[in-house]
Amino acid sequence: MAKVYKDLREFLATLEEEGQLVRIKEEVNPEPDIGAAGRAASSMPNGPAVLFENITGYKGSVVTNVHGSWQNHALMMGMPKDTPTKEQFEELNARWDKYPVPPNVVSREEAPCKENVITENINLFEVLPLYRINEQDGGFFISKASVISGDPEALDDFGRQNVGTYRIQVKDKDRIGIQALPMHDLAVQLEKAERKNEPLPVAIALGNSPLVTFMASTPVGYSQNEYEFVGALQDGVPTDIVPADTAPHLMVPAGAEVVLEGYIIPRVRVVEGPFGEFPGSYSGSRLQCEIQITRITHRTDPIFENLYLGMPWTEIDYLMALNTSVPLYKQIKESFPEVVAVNAMYTHGIGVIISTKCRYGGYGKGVAMRLLSTPHGMPYSKIVIVVDEFVDPFNLEQVMWALTTRVLPHKDVTMIENAPGMPLDPSSNPAGMTTKLIIDATTPVAPEPNPRAVELLKDPVGTAKYTEVIKGLMQAMGDK
Amino acid sequence: MECPRCDSENTRTMVKSPVGDVWEVYVCEDCWYSWRSTETPVVIEKFKLTPAIIATLGVIPPIPPLDL
Ligand SMILES: [Zn+2]
Repeated sequence: MAKVYKDLREFLATLEEEGQLVRIKEEVNPEPDIGAAGRAASSMPNGPAVLFENITGYKGSVVTNVHGSWQNHALMMGMPKDTPTKEQFEELNARWDKYPVPPNVVSREEAPCKENVITENINLFEVLPLYRINEQDGGFFISKASVISGDPEALDDFGRQNVGTYRIQVKDKDRIGIQALPMHDLAVQLEKAERKNEPLPVAIALGNSPLVTFMASTPVGYSQNEYEFVGALQDGVPTDIVPADTAPHLMVPAGAEVVLEGYIIPRVRVVEGPFGEFPGSYSGSRLQCEIQITRITHRTDPIFENLYLGMPWTEIDYLMALNTSVPLYKQIKESFPEVVAVNAMYTHGIGVIISTKCRYGGYGKGVAMRLLSTPHGMPYSKIVIVVDEFVDPFNLEQVMWALTTRVLPHKDVTMIENAPGMPLDPSSNPAGMTTKLIIDATTPVAPEPNPRAVELLKDPVGTAKYTEVIKGLMQAMGDK
Repeated sequence: MECPRCDSENTRTMVKSPVGDVWEVYVCEDCWYSWRSTETPVVIEKFKLTPAIIATLGVIPPIPPLDL
């Protein structure tokens, strides 16, 4: 049974034991220090989480880069920290099939997130050490929140309750702006409320167990509940939830550090942004929704968990890497069982590498076209590379080998013009329209001719043994 | 106090530092830009706002018609 964390604190303890969390005890300024540390840590090959214990003018602590390396990602899954990315992908796939695992509803008394309650003179700055993440951001942003909302037409339908990650800008001590893009579940629910001029209750959970945050940023179907996926990804261990105080139909993670409760003010839009976004550029100002906060519950000495996002790769790229890859893989695998793995971790799936065995000529291209017609692939994916089943799509050296030795451009490179694209991709023109590119880097199979078939090199006998021998010798040197 | 983004004077102190008296956060009530007294905000030309620009910003998500 894999190690499962009840809350953020348990995960931080494991990260520290494994050398994947550092504490900064000296006093730091909110700007630019916290953003800079998130940038720095996520650029490192095994970047740790960074916990700031003393921030000028604030009471609490901030932790950033919690998901920001493959080591931390593996530990989130309860796997050894040196687990290769492809193995993490395979484990995630296996656990995905355990869905649904119903969550465990605990009483208010059992829920640490209810330890403290604030209902008067609400001041977010008293609870959260808020800071500007990137220089041109229009304010202080909460970048790693799990927002819980319900369907106004089916309040008791747990499946249609949504847990999602949305960017949040602090507008006042007790008011925040939120981005609900029309394609997001939250916008679907909001429209129903706004048609009746009614507020939409929301709860915002900050500082959650790592797989809750992971699932909140995973694209799943509208009627699929994220908490039931968390239980699946926790290898069958249900996650603990508790009703929100002001809107008991909304379930919040029982171990959250902080829960903000309130409602989206109906039919009001106010300037929000700019905000440095995941494609590595700012998205400008727009008129967006606002939330009135009416109640805060929090653990004693809450830890504010937030992420840095900027020029890829940053923490958000680790967070959205395999949870974008797995749903795409599941969808194309259903039609084509030969598919071995999908790496959709480049800019939220704008770039994708598929590894597949080819059943007949042209198969690789066909699989790419299937990916481009999935719900996420159609708007997001632009560049699709297909490699043979023995190429690890998470190993870019191997992928480059396939591109350099398997591609004859005039027959293997295909462009599909005037296709749907991701509006935040600045190369799409007009925003949301693009050209799809398929590169078939698989070895030709019949009936496609392969006039220069080759014999591939194999590892010499004993390679595996020597890998262990050399590792052991290096370890011994390091121990000296 | 002038807003660094839209030059409006319609600004106020949003909050003072919860510990000590070491900084304040200001906010513009016209464009909702906010900044801390310890920062020296430089809003680049591309992100400057005027009432005319604000009036033409995109609305996300669109406000639906009211059900009758
Ligand atoms: Zn202003």
